[in-house]
Amino acid sequence: MDLETALSRPVPLDRRKEILRGALLRRRAELRKSWKHFISVEGLESLGSLAPEVESFLSGQGSIHDWRPAATFTWINCDASFSDSLRSIALAGEVDYRPSDTSPARLSLVDLNKLSNIKRLNLLCARYRCPLNIAAASEFDVAEELLRQLMVPDRAKLEAGEEFDADIILLKLNLVGIRAMITRDLRYLDALNYFYELLHRSLAHMRTSPRYVALWLCIYAQLLSMPDW
Amino acid sequence: MRVAVLAGSIRAGMRIAGEIENLPGIDVFVIVCNVGMRSPLLRWSRELFSALKSFEKWTFAAKAYSYARQERLIILHWPLDDPASIELLRSLQCDVGLHAANVIYREGTISAFRLGILNAHIGILPKYRGRCVVEWSVLQGDPTGVTVFFIDSGIDTGERIVLQEFIPSNGWKRVGALKNMLFGCDARLYRKALEALMQPGVQYEGNDILKGRRYYVMSHMLINTVDKILRDRANLG
Repeated sequence: MDLETALSRPVPLDRRKEILRGALLRRRAELRKSWKHFISVEGLESLGSLAPEVESFLSGQGSIHDWRPAATFTWINCDASFSDSLRSIALAGEVDYRPSDTSPARLSLVDLNKLSNIKRLNLLCARYRCPLNIAAASEFDVAEELLRQLMVPDRAKLEAGEEFDADIILLKLNLVGIRAMITRDLRYLDALNYFYELLHRSLAHMRTSPRYVALWLCIYAQLLSMPDW
Repeated sequence: MRVAVLAGSIRAGMRIAGEIENLPGIDVFVIVCNVGMRSPLLRWSRELFSALKSFEKWTFAAKAYSYARQERLIILHWPLDDPASIELLRSLQCDVGLHAANVIYREGTISAFRLGILNAHIGILPKYRGRCVVEWSVLQGDPTGVTVFFIDSGIDTGERIVLQEFIPSNGWKRVGALKNMLFGCDARLYRKALEALMQPGVQYEGNDILKGRRYYVMSHMLINTVDKILRDRANLG
Protein backbone atom coordinates (compact mmCIF):
# COMPACT_ATOMS: atom_id res chain seq x y z
CA MET A 1 0.00 0.00 0.00
CA ASP A 2 1.40 3.38 -0.88
CA LEU A 3 1.64 6.38 1.39
CA GLU A 4 -1.31 8.19 -0.19
CA THR A 5 -3.64 5.25 0.43
CA ALA A 6 -2.37 4.83 3.98
CA LEU A 7 -3.27 8.42 4.63
CA SER A 8 -6.65 8.06 2.97
CA ARG A 9 -8.64 9.21 5.94
CA PRO A 10 -6.44 11.17 8.33
CA VAL A 11 -7.83 13.03 11.30
CA PRO A 12 -8.05 16.62 10.19
CA LEU A 13 -4.88 18.19 11.54
CA ASP A 14 -6.73 20.87 13.47
CA ARG A 15 -8.96 18.33 15.22
CA ARG A 16 -5.94 16.24 16.28
CA LYS A 17 -4.27 19.33 17.62
CA GLU A 18 -7.49 20.36 19.34
CA ILE A 19 -7.69 17.00 21.16
CA LEU A 20 -4.06 17.30 22.23
CA ARG A 21 -4.54 20.88 23.38
CA GLY A 22 -7.56 19.84 25.44
CA ALA A 23 -5.53 17.12 27.17
CA LEU A 24 -2.68 19.52 27.95
CA LEU A 25 -5.05 22.11 29.40
CA ARG A 26 -6.75 19.49 31.56
CA ARG A 27 -3.34 18.48 32.92
CA ARG A 28 -2.57 22.15 33.53
CA ALA A 29 -5.78 22.47 35.54
CA GLU A 30 -4.86 19.35 37.51
CA LEU A 31 -1.37 20.72 38.16
CA ARG A 32 -2.89 23.91 39.52
CA LYS A 33 -4.48 21.81 42.27
CA SER A 34 -1.86 19.10 42.74
CA TRP A 35 1.47 20.93 42.74
CA LYS A 36 1.47 21.21 46.53
CA HIS A 37 1.78 17.42 46.71
CA PHE A 38 5.21 17.76 45.14
CA ILE A 39 6.55 20.52 47.41
CA SER A 40 6.05 20.27 51.15
CA VAL A 41 5.27 23.36 53.25
CA GLU A 42 8.82 23.25 54.63
CA GLY A 43 10.20 22.90 51.12
CA LEU A 44 8.25 25.92 49.97
CA GLU A 45 9.46 27.94 52.95
CA SER A 46 13.05 26.96 52.15
CA LEU A 47 12.72 28.69 48.77
CA GLY A 48 12.71 32.10 50.48
CA SER A 49 11.83 34.92 48.09
CA LEU A 50 11.14 32.44 45.32
CA ALA A 51 8.25 30.83 47.25
CA PRO A 52 5.52 33.43 46.63
CA GLU A 53 6.44 33.67 42.95
CA VAL A 54 6.26 29.89 42.54
CA GLU A 55 3.00 29.69 44.46
CA SER A 56 1.41 32.43 42.40
CA PHE A 57 2.74 30.99 39.14
CA LEU A 58 1.55 27.45 39.75
CA SER A 59 -1.77 28.28 41.41
CA GLY A 60 -2.74 31.03 39.02
CA GLN A 61 -3.32 31.01 35.30
CA GLY A 62 0.43 31.43 34.87
CA SER A 63 2.00 33.21 31.97
CA ILE A 64 4.07 31.79 29.17
CA HIS A 65 7.10 33.20 27.47
CA ASP A 66 7.90 32.25 23.90
CA TRP A 67 11.63 31.55 24.10
CA ARG A 68 11.95 30.63 20.45
CA PRO A 69 14.53 32.93 18.88
CA ALA A 70 13.66 34.70 15.65
CA ALA A 71 16.51 32.93 13.88
CA THR A 72 18.54 29.78 14.47
CA PHE A 73 21.12 30.57 17.08
CA THR A 74 24.60 29.17 17.57
CA TRP A 75 25.08 29.99 21.24
CA ILE A 76 23.83 32.43 23.83
CA ASN A 77 25.92 34.17 26.46
CA CYS A 78 24.45 35.65 29.61
CA ASP A 79 25.85 37.25 32.72
CA ALA A 80 23.41 35.74 35.21
CA SER A 81 24.27 32.51 37.01
CA PHE A 82 22.73 29.18 36.00
CA SER A 83 20.45 29.31 39.01
CA ASP A 84 19.17 32.83 38.26
CA SER A 85 18.74 32.12 34.55
CA LEU A 86 16.78 28.94 35.28
CA ARG A 87 14.56 30.86 37.69
CA SER A 88 13.83 33.55 35.09
CA ILE A 89 13.03 31.01 32.38
CA ALA A 90 10.83 28.90 34.66
CA LEU A 91 8.82 31.90 35.82
CA ALA A 92 8.45 33.27 32.29
CA GLY A 93 10.61 36.27 33.14
CA GLU A 94 13.32 37.93 31.13
CA VAL A 95 16.85 36.68 30.51
CA ASP A 96 19.43 39.22 29.48
CA TYR A 97 21.42 37.43 26.79
CA ARG A 98 23.71 38.07 23.87
CA PRO A 99 23.81 35.81 20.82
CA SER A 100 27.23 34.51 19.92
CA ASP A 101 28.58 33.10 16.67
CA THR A 102 30.71 30.49 18.37
CA SER A 103 29.73 27.61 20.59
CA PRO A 104 31.97 25.81 23.10
CA ALA A 105 33.73 22.60 22.13
CA ARG A 106 31.45 19.59 21.70
CA LEU A 107 30.62 17.75 24.88
CA SER A 108 31.70 14.14 24.63
CA LEU A 109 28.85 11.86 25.70
CA VAL A 110 31.32 9.15 26.63
CA ASP A 111 33.12 11.54 28.96
CA LEU A 112 29.83 12.87 30.34
CA ASN A 113 28.62 9.40 31.20
CA LYS A 114 31.87 8.51 32.95
CA LEU A 115 31.36 11.25 35.53
CA SER A 116 29.80 10.80 38.95
CA ASN A 117 26.36 12.34 39.40
CA ILE A 118 27.68 15.36 41.27
CA LYS A 119 30.39 16.06 38.67
CA ARG A 120 27.89 15.59 35.86
CA LEU A 121 25.50 18.00 37.54
CA ASN A 122 28.25 20.60 37.94
CA LEU A 123 29.37 20.20 34.34
CA LEU A 124 25.83 20.57 32.98
CA CYS A 125 25.17 23.63 35.14
CA ALA A 126 28.40 25.23 33.93
CA ARG A 127 27.87 24.43 30.24
CA TYR A 128 24.24 25.53 30.34
CA ARG A 129 24.80 28.61 32.45
CA CYS A 130 22.29 30.06 30.03
CA PRO A 131 19.94 27.04 29.97
CA LEU A 132 18.41 28.11 26.62
CA ASN A 133 21.58 26.72 25.01
CA ILE A 134 20.27 23.19 25.50
CA ALA A 135 18.11 23.94 22.44
CA ALA A 136 21.05 24.99 20.26
CA ALA A 137 21.57 22.84 17.17
CA SER A 138 25.04 21.88 18.38
CA GLU A 139 23.53 20.39 21.57
CA PHE A 140 21.24 17.93 19.78
CA ASP A 141 23.26 14.88 20.79
CA VAL A 142 23.51 15.98 24.44
CA ALA A 143 19.78 16.69 24.62
CA GLU A 144 18.96 13.33 23.03
CA GLU A 145 21.23 11.60 25.55
CA LEU A 146 19.59 13.38 28.49
CA LEU A 147 16.18 12.36 27.13
CA ARG A 148 17.37 8.76 26.71
CA GLN A 149 18.78 8.66 30.23
CA LEU A 150 15.52 9.96 31.68
CA MET A 151 13.28 7.65 29.70
CA VAL A 152 15.38 4.48 29.96
CA PRO A 153 17.68 4.02 32.99
CA ASP A 154 16.25 6.72 35.27
CA ARG A 155 12.67 5.69 34.57
CA ALA A 156 13.54 2.03 35.14
CA LYS A 157 15.14 2.88 38.49
CA LEU A 158 12.14 4.86 39.67
CA GLU A 159 9.67 2.24 38.50
CA ALA A 160 11.62 -0.48 40.29
CA GLY A 161 11.62 1.60 43.48
CA GLU A 162 15.43 1.77 43.51
CA GLU A 163 17.47 4.59 45.02
CA PHE A 164 18.06 7.53 42.70
CA ASP A 165 19.76 10.92 42.74
CA ALA A 166 16.90 13.43 42.73
CA ASP A 167 19.09 16.44 41.88
CA ILE A 168 20.48 15.06 38.63
CA ILE A 169 17.10 13.74 37.49
CA LEU A 170 15.44 17.08 38.21
CA LEU A 171 18.22 18.99 36.45
CA LYS A 172 17.71 16.81 33.38
CA LEU A 173 13.95 17.38 33.55
CA ASN A 174 14.48 21.13 33.70
CA LEU A 175 16.84 21.11 30.70
CA VAL A 176 14.65 18.76 28.69
CA GLY A 177 11.65 20.98 29.47
CA ILE A 178 13.49 24.06 28.23
CA ARG A 179 14.40 22.25 25.01
CA ALA A 180 10.71 21.38 24.57
CA MET A 181 9.80 25.06 25.01
CA ILE A 182 12.01 26.06 22.11
CA THR A 183 11.87 23.10 19.74
CA ARG A 184 8.21 22.08 20.38
CA ASP A 185 9.38 18.47 20.22
CA LEU A 186 6.57 16.45 21.80
CA ARG A 187 8.97 13.74 22.97
CA TYR A 188 10.63 16.20 25.31
CA LEU A 189 7.29 17.44 26.63
CA ASP A 190 6.18 13.86 27.19
CA ALA A 191 9.23 13.12 29.33
CA LEU A 192 7.82 15.73 31.71
CA ASN A 193 4.35 14.19 31.45
CA TYR A 194 5.80 10.78 32.23
CA PHE A 195 7.80 11.93 35.23
CA TYR A 196 4.89 13.99 36.55
CA GLU A 197 2.85 10.76 36.56
CA LEU A 198 5.74 8.69 37.90
CA LEU A 199 6.99 11.01 40.60
CA HIS A 200 3.70 10.91 42.48
CA ARG A 201 5.12 7.60 43.71
CA SER A 202 8.54 8.93 44.68
CA LEU A 203 7.65 12.17 46.41
CA ALA A 204 9.75 11.58 49.51
CA HIS A 205 12.94 11.67 47.42
CA MET A 206 11.94 14.74 45.47
CA ARG A 207 11.30 16.78 48.56
CA THR A 208 15.03 16.97 49.18
CA SER A 209 15.35 19.26 46.15
CA PRO A 210 12.47 21.75 46.47
CA ARG A 211 14.06 24.41 44.26
CA TYR A 212 14.57 22.12 41.26
CA VAL A 213 11.11 20.61 41.78
CA ALA A 214 9.48 24.06 41.89
CA LEU A 215 11.24 25.32 38.77
CA TRP A 216 10.56 22.07 36.91
CA LEU A 217 6.85 22.36 37.72
CA CYS A 218 6.82 25.99 36.53
CA ILE A 219 8.45 24.97 33.24
CA TYR A 220 5.96 22.12 32.94
CA ALA A 221 3.07 24.51 33.57
CA GLN A 222 4.31 26.77 30.77
CA LEU A 223 4.65 23.84 28.38
CA LEU A 224 1.09 22.70 29.10
CA SER A 225 -0.23 26.19 28.39
CA MET A 226 1.55 26.60 25.06
CA PRO A 227 -1.00 26.65 22.25
CA ASP A 228 1.07 25.52 19.31
CA TRP A 229 2.14 21.90 19.73
CA MET B 1 17.47 -21.20 2.92
CA ARG B 2 17.77 -22.18 6.60
CA VAL B 3 15.69 -20.05 8.92
CA ALA B 4 15.48 -20.04 12.72
CA VAL B 5 12.56 -18.48 14.58
CA LEU B 6 13.90 -16.99 17.82
CA ALA B 7 10.84 -17.17 20.03
CA GLY B 8 9.89 -16.44 23.62
CA SER B 9 7.64 -19.50 23.82
CA ILE B 10 7.01 -22.70 21.87
CA ARG B 11 3.58 -21.45 20.84
CA ALA B 12 4.95 -18.13 19.51
CA GLY B 13 7.64 -19.96 17.59
CA MET B 14 5.28 -22.55 16.09
CA ARG B 15 2.87 -19.82 14.96
CA ILE B 16 5.54 -18.19 12.80
CA ALA B 17 7.02 -21.53 11.71
CA GLY B 18 3.55 -22.59 10.53
CA GLU B 19 3.35 -19.56 8.24
CA ILE B 20 6.72 -20.03 6.57
CA GLU B 21 7.35 -23.79 6.59
CA ASN B 22 5.60 -24.37 3.27
CA LEU B 23 7.72 -21.88 1.38
CA PRO B 24 9.73 -23.79 -1.21
CA GLY B 25 13.40 -24.11 -0.32
CA ILE B 26 13.00 -23.18 3.35
CA ASP B 27 14.18 -25.25 6.33
CA VAL B 28 12.73 -23.98 9.59
CA PHE B 29 14.03 -24.32 13.14
CA VAL B 30 12.33 -22.96 16.25
CA ILE B 31 14.67 -21.77 18.98
CA VAL B 32 12.89 -21.07 22.26
CA CYS B 33 14.77 -18.54 24.37
CA ASN B 34 14.55 -18.43 28.14
CA VAL B 35 13.38 -14.81 28.37
CA GLY B 36 14.06 -13.40 31.83
CA MET B 37 15.90 -16.64 32.78
CA ARG B 38 12.84 -18.15 34.43
CA SER B 39 13.08 -21.27 36.58
CA PRO B 40 12.25 -24.54 34.76
CA LEU B 41 9.01 -24.92 36.75
CA LEU B 42 7.78 -21.41 35.88
CA ARG B 43 8.92 -21.72 32.30
CA TRP B 44 7.15 -25.01 31.60
CA SER B 45 4.02 -23.90 33.49
CA ARG B 46 3.83 -20.90 31.16
CA GLU B 47 4.37 -23.09 28.11
CA LEU B 48 1.63 -25.46 29.24
CA PHE B 49 -0.78 -22.64 30.02
CA SER B 50 -0.06 -21.02 26.67
CA ALA B 51 -0.70 -24.33 24.87
CA LEU B 52 -3.97 -24.95 26.73
CA LYS B 53 -5.20 -21.47 25.83
CA SER B 54 -4.79 -22.28 22.17
CA PHE B 55 -7.98 -23.11 20.27
CA GLU B 56 -6.04 -25.62 18.22
CA LYS B 57 -4.09 -27.17 21.06
CA TRP B 58 -3.95 -30.67 19.55
CA THR B 59 -2.74 -29.42 16.17
CA PHE B 60 -0.22 -27.26 17.98
CA ALA B 61 0.96 -30.18 20.18
CA ALA B 62 1.28 -32.46 17.15
CA LYS B 63 3.27 -29.85 15.24
CA ALA B 64 5.56 -29.13 18.21
CA TYR B 65 6.12 -32.88 18.68
CA SER B 66 6.95 -33.25 14.99
CA TYR B 67 9.47 -30.41 15.16
CA ALA B 68 11.02 -31.83 18.35
CA ARG B 69 11.33 -35.29 16.80
CA GLN B 70 13.16 -33.81 13.81
CA GLU B 71 15.40 -31.84 16.18
CA ARG B 72 14.01 -28.62 14.75
CA LEU B 73 12.59 -27.44 18.07
CA ILE B 74 15.42 -26.37 20.34
CA ILE B 75 14.94 -25.17 23.89
CA LEU B 76 17.72 -22.88 25.10
CA HIS B 77 18.63 -23.14 28.77
CA TRP B 78 21.18 -20.32 28.75
CA PRO B 79 20.79 -16.66 27.80
CA LEU B 80 20.76 -16.09 24.05
CA ASP B 81 24.11 -14.27 24.11
CA ASP B 82 25.82 -16.97 26.20
CA PRO B 83 28.75 -18.54 24.28
CA ALA B 84 27.06 -21.96 24.53
CA SER B 85 23.87 -20.60 22.89
CA ILE B 86 25.85 -18.81 20.19
CA GLU B 87 27.82 -21.98 19.47
CA LEU B 88 24.55 -23.89 19.11
CA LEU B 89 23.12 -21.24 16.78
CA ARG B 90 26.27 -21.32 14.66
CA SER B 91 26.09 -25.09 14.39
CA LEU B 92 22.65 -24.78 12.73
CA GLN B 93 24.24 -22.76 9.88
CA CYS B 94 21.12 -20.66 9.43
CA ASP B 95 20.90 -17.89 6.87
CA VAL B 96 18.25 -15.84 8.64
CA GLY B 97 16.87 -15.50 12.18
CA LEU B 98 13.35 -14.20 12.80
CA HIS B 99 12.85 -12.13 15.94
CA ALA B 100 9.91 -13.29 18.04
CA ALA B 101 11.32 -13.08 21.57
CA ASN B 102 11.52 -10.17 23.95
CA VAL B 103 15.31 -10.13 24.08
CA ILE B 104 18.17 -7.79 23.19
CA TYR B 105 20.46 -9.18 20.52
CA ARG B 106 24.19 -8.70 20.85
CA GLU B 107 26.68 -8.80 18.01
CA GLY B 108 27.69 -12.43 18.66
CA THR B 109 24.11 -13.66 18.29
CA ILE B 110 23.42 -11.57 15.19
CA SER B 111 26.56 -12.77 13.43
CA ALA B 112 25.61 -16.40 14.04
CA PHE B 113 23.24 -15.97 11.05
CA ARG B 114 24.67 -15.59 7.55
CA LEU B 115 22.38 -12.68 6.57
CA GLY B 116 21.32 -11.58 10.04
CA ILE B 117 18.16 -11.44 12.16
CA LEU B 118 14.94 -9.93 10.81
CA ASN B 119 12.64 -7.85 12.99
CA ALA B 120 9.04 -6.94 12.14
CA HIS B 121 9.01 -3.45 13.70
CA ILE B 122 5.50 -2.03 14.16
CA GLY B 123 6.47 1.40 12.89
CA ILE B 124 7.63 3.11 9.75
CA LEU B 125 11.41 3.37 9.55
CA PRO B 126 13.51 5.42 9.47
CA LYS B 127 11.16 8.02 10.98
CA TYR B 128 9.91 6.05 13.96
CA ARG B 129 12.48 4.11 16.00
CA GLY B 130 12.12 2.80 19.54
CA ARG B 131 9.03 2.31 21.67
CA CYS B 132 5.36 3.29 21.39
CA VAL B 133 5.91 4.18 17.75
CA VAL B 134 2.30 3.39 16.82
CA GLU B 135 1.07 5.86 19.44
CA TRP B 136 3.55 8.50 18.31
CA SER B 137 2.64 8.02 14.64
CA VAL B 138 -1.07 8.49 15.32
CA LEU B 139 -0.44 11.48 17.57
CA GLN B 140 1.69 13.19 14.94
CA GLY B 141 -0.66 12.35 12.06
CA ASP B 142 1.73 9.98 10.31
CA PRO B 143 0.90 6.64 8.66
CA THR B 144 1.14 3.43 10.65
CA GLY B 145 2.57 0.15 9.43
CA VAL B 146 5.27 -2.49 9.81
CA THR B 147 8.88 -2.45 8.63
CA VAL B 148 10.83 -5.69 8.29
CA PHE B 149 14.55 -5.04 8.55
CA PHE B 150 17.80 -6.68 9.58
CA ILE B 151 18.65 -5.62 13.11
CA ASP B 152 21.99 -4.50 14.44
CA SER B 153 22.88 -4.01 18.08
CA GLY B 154 21.30 -0.52 18.19
CA ILE B 155 17.65 0.41 18.70
CA ASP B 156 16.01 -0.06 15.27
CA THR B 157 19.15 1.24 13.56
CA GLY B 158 19.85 -1.76 11.28
CA GLU B 159 20.68 -0.41 7.84
CA ARG B 160 18.91 -2.96 5.58
CA ILE B 161 15.13 -2.67 5.21
CA VAL B 162 13.69 -5.67 3.37
CA LEU B 163 10.10 -4.48 3.13
CA GLN B 164 7.63 -2.01 4.53
CA GLU B 165 3.85 -2.19 4.57
CA PHE B 166 1.61 0.77 5.40
CA ILE B 167 -1.37 -0.48 7.42
CA PRO B 168 -3.93 2.24 8.15
CA SER B 169 -5.16 2.87 11.68
CA ASN B 170 -8.61 3.87 10.38
CA GLY B 171 -11.46 2.10 12.16
CA TRP B 172 -9.48 1.26 15.31
CA LYS B 173 -10.79 2.90 18.45
CA ARG B 174 -8.05 1.87 20.87
CA VAL B 175 -4.32 1.95 20.28
CA GLY B 176 -3.80 -1.28 22.25
CA ALA B 177 -6.00 -3.22 19.82
CA LEU B 178 -4.34 -1.51 16.85
CA LYS B 179 -0.91 -2.56 18.13
CA ASN B 180 -2.02 -6.16 18.65
CA MET B 181 -3.23 -6.24 15.05
CA LEU B 182 0.12 -4.87 13.83
CA PHE B 183 2.10 -7.31 16.00
CA GLY B 184 -0.04 -10.10 14.55
CA CYS B 185 1.15 -9.24 11.02
CA ASP B 186 4.66 -10.50 11.81
CA ALA B 187 4.33 -14.06 10.47
CA ARG B 188 2.78 -12.93 7.17
CA LEU B 189 5.37 -10.21 6.68
CA TYR B 190 8.27 -12.50 7.59
CA ARG B 191 6.98 -14.81 4.88
CA LYS B 192 6.93 -11.95 2.37
CA ALA B 193 10.41 -10.86 3.47
CA LEU B 194 11.83 -14.38 3.03
CA GLU B 195 10.24 -14.59 -0.42
CA ALA B 196 11.93 -11.30 -1.29
CA LEU B 197 15.27 -12.50 0.07
CA MET B 198 15.13 -15.63 -2.08
CA GLN B 199 14.81 -13.56 -5.24
CA PRO B 200 18.08 -13.05 -7.10
CA GLY B 201 19.65 -9.61 -6.69
CA VAL B 202 17.55 -8.56 -3.72
CA GLN B 203 17.68 -4.80 -3.11
CA TYR B 204 17.40 -3.28 0.37
CA GLU B 205 15.96 0.09 1.29
CA GLY B 206 18.30 2.12 3.48
CA ASN B 207 17.44 3.05 7.06
CA ASP B 208 18.93 6.52 7.40
CA ILE B 209 18.65 7.22 11.12
CA LEU B 210 19.26 10.92 10.53
CA LYS B 211 15.80 11.04 8.93
CA GLY B 212 14.10 9.85 12.08
CA ARG B 213 13.98 10.02 15.85
CA ARG B 214 14.10 7.54 18.69
CA TYR B 215 10.83 7.43 20.60
CA TYR B 216 10.24 6.30 24.15
CA VAL B 217 7.46 4.89 26.27
CA MET B 218 4.52 7.30 26.26
CA SER B 219 2.80 8.91 29.26
CA HIS B 220 -0.72 7.83 30.24
CA MET B 221 -1.91 11.28 29.32
CA LEU B 222 -0.75 11.05 25.71
CA ILE B 223 -1.87 7.42 25.35
CA ASN B 224 -5.37 8.55 26.35
CA THR B 225 -5.06 11.37 23.84
CA VAL B 226 -4.13 8.90 21.10
CA ASP B 227 -7.16 6.74 21.98
CA LYS B 228 -9.32 9.83 21.74
CA ILE B 229 -7.89 10.73 18.33
CA LEU B 230 -8.60 7.19 17.09
CA ARG B 231 -12.17 7.23 18.45
CA ASP B 232 -12.74 10.63 16.92
CA ARG B 233 -11.56 9.41 13.54
CA ALA B 234 -13.64 6.21 13.77
CA ASN B 235 -16.75 8.22 14.65
CA LEU B 236 -16.15 10.58 11.76
CA GLY B 237 -15.91 7.69 9.34
